[in-house]
Parts: sequence; structure tokens; C-alpha cells
Amino acid sequence: MSVTAKLFKLDDREIPFEAGDTIIQAATRAGVDIPHYCWHPGLSVAANCRMCLVEMMPPPGRKAMMLEVARFDSASGTYVKEQKPKLVPACQQSVAEGMDIRSNSSDHVIRARASVQEFLLLNHPVDCPICDQAGECRLQDYWLEHQQTKKRMRDEPVHKPKAVVFGPTIVYDAERCIACTRCIRFCDEVAKDPVLTLRQRGNLNEIAVAPGRQLDNAYTLMTEHVCPVGALTARDFRFKARVWFLRSAETICTGCARGCNSYTDYDPRQQKVYRYRPRTNETVNKHWMCDDGMLSYRRITEGRITASSVEGQVVEDAQAVERAVSLLRGIDGKKLAILMGSEFSLEDNAVLLALGRNLGAESFFESGQPSGKFDQVLMLADKNPNTAGVQALLDTDPLPISELAQGVSSGRFTHVLSLGTTLKEREAEESLALQKATRIAIGSHQGALAEGANVVLAVACWAEAEGIFVNVGGLAQRSSRAVLPPSGLEPAHQVIAAVAHALGQGPKQLSLSEIRATIDRDARELAPGTVRLARIALPNLVERPVLWGTQLGPSSDQSGGVQSGYLESSLDQSSQDQSSQDQSIGKVRFEKNRGASL
Amino acid sequence: MEPIERDLDSAEIRLSADPMLLNVGPSHPATHGTVRIVVELSGETIVRCDVQVGYLHRGFEKMCERGTWNQVFPYVDRCNYVSPMLNNVGLALACEKLLDIVVPNRCQYFRMALGELARISDHLTCTAAMAMELGAFTPYLWMMKAREMIWDIMEEETGARLTHSFGRIGGMAKPPTDGFKEHSRAVMAHVTKTIDEVERLLLTNRIFLDRLENVGVISAENAISLGWVGPCLRASGVPYDVRRAHPYMKYGEIEFDVPVGAKGDCFDRYMVRLEEIRQSARIVEQTLNRLEDSGPINVDDPRVVLPDKHDVYSTIEGTIQHFKLVMEGVKLPAGEAYGYTEGGNGEMGFYLVSDGSGTPYRVRIRPPSFYVTGGLEHIITGQMMADIVPCFGSLNMIGGECDR
Repeated sequence: MSVTAKLFKLDDREIPFEAGDTIIQAATRAGVDIPHYCWHPGLSVAANCRMCLVEMMPPPGRKAMMLEVARFDSASGTYVKEQKPKLVPACQQSVAEGMDIRSNSSDHVIRARASVQEFLLLNHPVDCPICDQAGECRLQDYWLEHQQTKKRMRDEPVHKPKAVVFGPTIVYDAERCIACTRCIRFCDEVAKDPVLTLRQRGNLNEIAVAPGRQLDNAYTLMTEHVCPVGALTARDFRFKARVWFLRSAETICTGCARGCNSYTDYDPRQQKVYRYRPRTNETVNKHWMCDDGMLSYRRITEGRITASSVEGQVVEDAQAVERAVSLLRGIDGKKLAILMGSEFSLEDNAVLLALGRNLGAESFFESGQPSGKFDQVLMLADKNPNTAGVQALLDTDPLPISELAQGVSSGRFTHVLSLGTTLKEREAEESLALQKATRIAIGSHQGALAEGANVVLAVACWAEAEGIFVNVGGLAQRSSRAVLPPSGLEPAHQVIAAVAHALGQGPKQLSLSEIRATIDRDARELAPGTVRLARIALPNLVERPVLWGTQLGPSSDQSGGVQSGYLESSLDQSSQDQSSQDQSIGKVRFEKNRGASL
Repeated sequence: MEPIERDLDSAEIRLSADPMLLNVGPSHPATHGTVRIVVELSGETIVRCDVQVGYLHRGFEKMCERGTWNQVFPYVDRCNYVSPMLNNVGLALACEKLLDIVVPNRCQYFRMALGELARISDHLTCTAAMAMELGAFTPYLWMMKAREMIWDIMEEETGARLTHSFGRIGGMAKPPTDGFKEHSRAVMAHVTKTIDEVERLLLTNRIFLDRLENVGVISAENAISLGWVGPCLRASGVPYDVRRAHPYMKYGEIEFDVPVGAKGDCFDRYMVRLEEIRQSARIVEQTLNRLEDSGPINVDDPRVVLPDKHDVYSTIEGTIQHFKLVMEGVKLPAGEAYGYTEGGNGEMGFYLVSDGSGTPYRVRIRPPSFYVTGGLEHIITGQMMADIVPCFGSLNMIGGECDR
């Protein structure tokens, strides 16, 4: 923003704006709420809900445009002639300098909002008790804020189709729909799959799926997310939980390397995660997440390793650690292959790296999920949330897995210590070569590396521990803990620290801030410009911990990590340029663009 | 009995000249609340004492911070549990101050009538228990019978004898029943008759008077500096009654006298309470005369008051209103407010802090009992051990209110 910001007046308050702003954009940025249903910061303007109507005062010396209206006077029982100003939708009206806008201070606006709200509820069914949106529904919120009247219409409301299956993920209820068209615009503009449309008019108006199609693109759950009312509900979440019982943790989606900012909604009473929701971050995922990512919360509980084991026998965690220590004690570091975990946080990997280096290991590989489908919106082929973090820590690319298999068969590696239990290359998992080595697997989920391993150390997964994940663009983002780990498991960095301690390498307990300080110190001590680790901009993590997960400091370079190829998709074109609330906490910069998998 | 076989010489009793340390309570027949009094006795005279409260601390101010504002009412019921209606009304008044709303007149008179009935039951309990502890059992039964009648009224109106949870922000849970006035008048006639009889019985009893007069004296200055309020302060001659000093609801238009004592001894405290019962009966009569038989009991404000059940089940507007008020609670505007009421033991203060959400940010209660009990040490030091009983009884410490 330039120093001499241009200003306009909203309810007698001076508000700065940028060229091209609409009233609602400038107001939202200034923290002023104008009620709205159909406007969404990431979608085009429809201006059809009329909830954001505001009064625009005429320029000095000019008369306001007034409309002749007939108002029913209940005292006399007749209609009386009256004038009212023509109100404008704040989502569509662009701002000009010196404009005088009245929102909460205008009686006309207050009356208009109440009328719009009453109109939207005219045919609304009495569904709150059975509606999944209850508790986070705009109709409920705005009734209290802007209407507060009882029903006046005594007729039977219009009945429309309910529980219409739109596709594998979404169910539609036409009676609850206010026809704001957010879902249609989302499919058109962001998902680039124009499969929804409006049909009929007036009170028969409803959303319809294109004939012969289903709502089955990769972003269907976002239609439910943008729906301001309970018209679209996710089949996955329907009737599972009540939102007022859920708490939200600010997390990072671990479904792929994009690192979409998300909320993990969980029930604290049962320590159970019910859903992911996108968290707005203009530089990463804007307002969106893909279906695969949204549903990846299921993996928190699916296929978990819930107990440590030695030679296939379930044992106490301490015993497993003891066994791992005895296997690792005194071995030749050159014969030890270490697999870093690209599904695990930066802290977990940093502790593992330190353990490996202290043991004299020289060969570092990488575990993780195999590549999957990708698109031009958000989804990346790399299905691991921390590939970039592992690379940055290693200061080089991890060695190819083929070398690992080869090394084990040739006897070059006698021990394999892995964080994570799957390999990015499925074929390598299937090869029997690894069976020959003594294997220690640290992991949260079952996988080839855990099967038949000499020691399996069970640890907490991403939802059960705080940690930093470095996304494809080099943004180090903090993900907080949502639920408690099953059966008292510890985060991986604690377990690895316990192993290292038993080997005489360091303290038994390592706090996250200590690990972060170490990462940061390593980054500073290495010569800048030569080593990748030196460019992990982690000082924010260490020096201003209060800012974690909220905002980058003003001095940090916000554009450096975000380069072309990264988000050069329909997202950029469709969403309007909003104030960027960058919730990342530091970034890793690379010479070459890591987002090339797009 | 076993015969004393010991030689008299060897059984010689040596009485120590040192003060004796004695522990009374926390559970003791004469402490009708859980309170511990550690006394240092020289002979039978108390030379030093330490009064320890907190045995009934349940941390309910903290508990208030997790529900909605209306969910605080059941907690304040358990403050002064001998007159819970006064607490209910006090909290409602504080919330309404923050919301800047005033309940309809019908509700105000209803609240006053119920409140004064609660005060009578409070004073009856205190005076009855005090008499009983000094050996007068008959008046105890008479007064308990009268209190039972008041609790019958409460049960009729609220459904509960003791913990009514009857107050609501913006009104009361229910309007008065059809028989409320008739029932209350009949009970008031009996209560005043009982008081007259009790007075005749006790005030001609030499033992009773000797146990109270000039025992546990406190001066007006000391009472004020200890933060005393209510009947105990008035017994020391300070005519401070919140209903008169800062009239709330409709107390400004009601005729009643504020009885004060002359010496500030246990007898004065006893007499002030007896007289206040008569004054409360006067107030009840006046409020019943002013209480309309029909009309709204709750404010007409959809932000605050639950909708009609029929609307909830048949219209979306009613459903939404019900949902917002029940699930999210009444949203008191962000800010602070101090609401007060003359409770059974004096000024009951509610200091509320709201952050604008439906959940209290802080609920602080100023319990009159806490400050009055703080003066117990002052009034029993120098008295005889046996004087603890009338002194403690006359202060009417209510554990729920004092310890919260």
C-alpha cells in the first residue's frame, strides 16, 4: 500500500482502499464486517443475495436517487407513500475516493437487511435440529444479528426436493438452499468443472447437476465448504458430529507437498478427528483444499501402528527402545542406512539426522508415500508433506532407493534405520533385498518397512504432535497438535531422542524449541550461499515464537519462496486479490524451483 | 462406672497456667456450616483466635466461565442456599444492567415478593437456629414450621423447595401461579403470628437474654471497616440497607422501615432480624397489592428471552432463536457491570465481566457472609468459650456463600 492511501468513508470511519477494490473488499480488509451470503473472497461477484446492500450518499450538492415506495402503516391499515434511497450491493460497487457509504448507521440498510433475511427464511424448513450446518449457519447468525422477528407468513412453505445425491460426496437439500450460486461459481471458476447450474425461477429455484453428470471432480467438498447454509452437506460428515462440540486446531494438510493450511476439527471428549477444513492462506491454498486432502483425516486412524514391537512381538515402548539401542550400539556407521521421513515433521527429521551423523552414518535415503495423481489447481504428485524439509536438512538430495536395495544385497549396509514405513518406490518395497538387513522402523502407520522389522518403534502421527512441514514452495509452516496419540505414544522426535540418549548422545528429553534452535543454529553456522540448509529462514521460529502460525514479520521476504510454477493455476485468475494473511512461519529457498512437478 | 482406685495423692491434678489451644470445627455441632475456629484459652476466656473458612469452596466462580450466562443461575442458587431467590434476582439484575434492559413491572413485583419471602425464610432459619443452640427448642420448631410454609410457596411457584434456579435474564422462568397472592397472604399472617409468639417466649427468658446481651459487641466504626453489611451492620446502628440506600427494582415506592440496633451485640443482631421479618411481611403485602394478575413477565427482546415453544416447533425463526439462545447463550455486550441486591446477609454483589460471547468471562460475587465472618475473630476475642455459639449464630455465616 502506498504511503498516501486513498480513503473512503464507511459509517463515518475513514477506510483505505486500493484501486479496483469493492466496498466489501476494502471493509473486510479493514476488519469491518458487512453481512453477505453470496460474496466469497475467492469467487467472482454475483450480487444476488442482496444481504450486503449499503447506502451510498450522493456527492455534496447533488440529490440522492430516491425510489417511490408504498409502506404499509399498521396503525391506519393502509399503504402510505414514502421515499427510500436506492441501495447498492457492497460486493459489486467499486470504491472511489471520498465516497460516503452508510452501512450500520443507515436505517434504510438495517431495514433492507431484515427484509432480505426474512425473505430468505420465508420458505426455509424447520431443519436446524437435523441439519449439519446448525451452529455454523449464516441464516442462524444473521437472524439474530439482523432480523430478530417472528414469522409473519402463515402459508405453507414451498416444498422442494430434499436429500438429492449430487455425487459420491455431496447431498443437496433444495429447501434449505438460498440460491447464492457460490457452489456453481466454485465449480466454474476454481475446479474448472462447470457441472452445477441453477434451474427454475422464483421460489422453485434450485441447484441442478448437468444431465448425465455427477458432482465428482476433485474439489467437490469445497462446494459444501462455500455453502453458507445447510443446502449442501458432505456425505462424509453428515450426522456424524455436532459442530459446537468440535474444537479446531490450526494444521497443515499432509496429503501432498502443497501444504494446504487447514483446520483439524476434532471432538475433545473422544479425541477423534471428524474433518479437515481449509484455512485461508493466500500464498499457499487461498481458500481451498482438494477432496483427497479433506478426506485424508481418515488416515489418522487407519492402518496405525499402536504399539512398539521387537521381532514381531508387541513390547513396552521402553523395551523396544532398549532393543533398538543394543542393535545400534557400536556399529560401523558406514554400514548404517538411514531413511529420513518425508511424512514426518522437520523436528523429527532433524533429530534423526543428528543421531545418524553422530553414529557416523553417511548414507541418507528417504521414506514416504509413492507419487499419485495431480492437477493444475492444488494437488501435487508428491504425496509427502515434508519432502522439501528433508532435502533442506540433508543439504543434498537423498540417495536413490535403488542404491539402498543394492547396498543391502551386497552387504554394504547391514543396518537400516527408517523414519516412516513406506517407500516412495513401491517396487523397492517389494524387493526382498531389504529383508537381509537388520531393520529398525520408527513409524505411525503400517507399511512394508515395518513388516518383519527387528524393531518397530510406534510414534504419534501428524495430527497428534506439533511440527513444522516445509512445503513445495519452501514455506516452513507450523502444524499444531489436534488430538492425543493413541495409547500414550510419543512424537517421533522424543523417541529418537530417547534412543540417542541411551547411546550417550544427548539429553533424554528434547523440547520442540530446543530442536528448532538447533536447526536454526546449524543454518547460521554453515556458510550462506553454498549449502541449502543455510537458507532455511527459520529465525522467525526461534526469535519470535509468539508469531508462530500467525504472520510473518514485516521484514521477512514474502515473495522469495513463492515462485512461478507454484500456484500458477486457475487459483490465481479466479480469486480476487485479497490481503494476504500469510500464516507461514519461515521459508526455505532453493536455487531451483521445487514446484516443477506441476 | 469403675471406682477410682487410685490414691488421691497420686491423682493430684496439675492445672497448667499456660493458655490452652483448642480446636473447634471444622465439623462441630455449634458451627452450622463448616468453619474451623482455633482458640487460645486462658481458663475459659478466649485470648486469641483464628477463624478459618474455605471448607465449602467449590470454585463455582470458575465453573461459571464454561457455560452460558443463564447457566450461572443454578450456581448462585448454591451461594446463600437459605434464600436462593435473592441470589437469582441479584444475578439477573446484574446481567440486565449489562444488557441495558428493564423487566416489566409485573416481573419486578413478582421478583420482590419472592425475594422478601426468601429473606423471611433466611431470617427465620438464622434466628431459629440461634435460639436452639442456646437451648430454646420450642421456638425453633415454630419457626421451622413457618419456614416450611414459605418453602411450600416456593415449591408451588418454582417447582423446587430450595434450589429454584428460577431467575432468567430478562424475566423469570414462569409467571406467578393463580393462587400465589392468596397463598402468600395466608402464610404471612401465620409468620407474623409466629414471630410475636417467639418474641413473647424468648424475651421474657432470663437465660436467653443473659447469653445475648453485651456479648459479641462491635462498634459501628469497626463493623464498617471490616466491610460488614446487612443485619449485622444495622445491629451496630448503621442504617445501611441497599433497598433504601440504592433502591433497585421498585423498592423506592414501597414503605418499609430499616430497623437498627443500639449496641451491636448479639441481642441487637437477633432483634434486627426479627424486626426485618415483620418489615419483609409489609413489603410482601405491598408488592402483592401492586402485582398485576396478567401481563408479560419477560422483556420483549428476542436476543434475550426464549421464544414460545409453539414457534420453536413450527417456524424456522423460532427454531433459530431457540438454537442461538440455548446453544450459544444470551450474548451480553462486552463490558463490566456491578449488580447488587440486599441478600439475606446484606449486600450481595455481582461483578460481571463479559467479552461479548455467550459465555461469562468472569463472574465475581461479593458475598456478605465472607466479610461478616471476617469479624468473628474480633467479636469473640475476650469473650468466654461458650459465647462462640451465640456470636457465630448471630453472624449467620452461610458456607456456600462465604466460601463459594
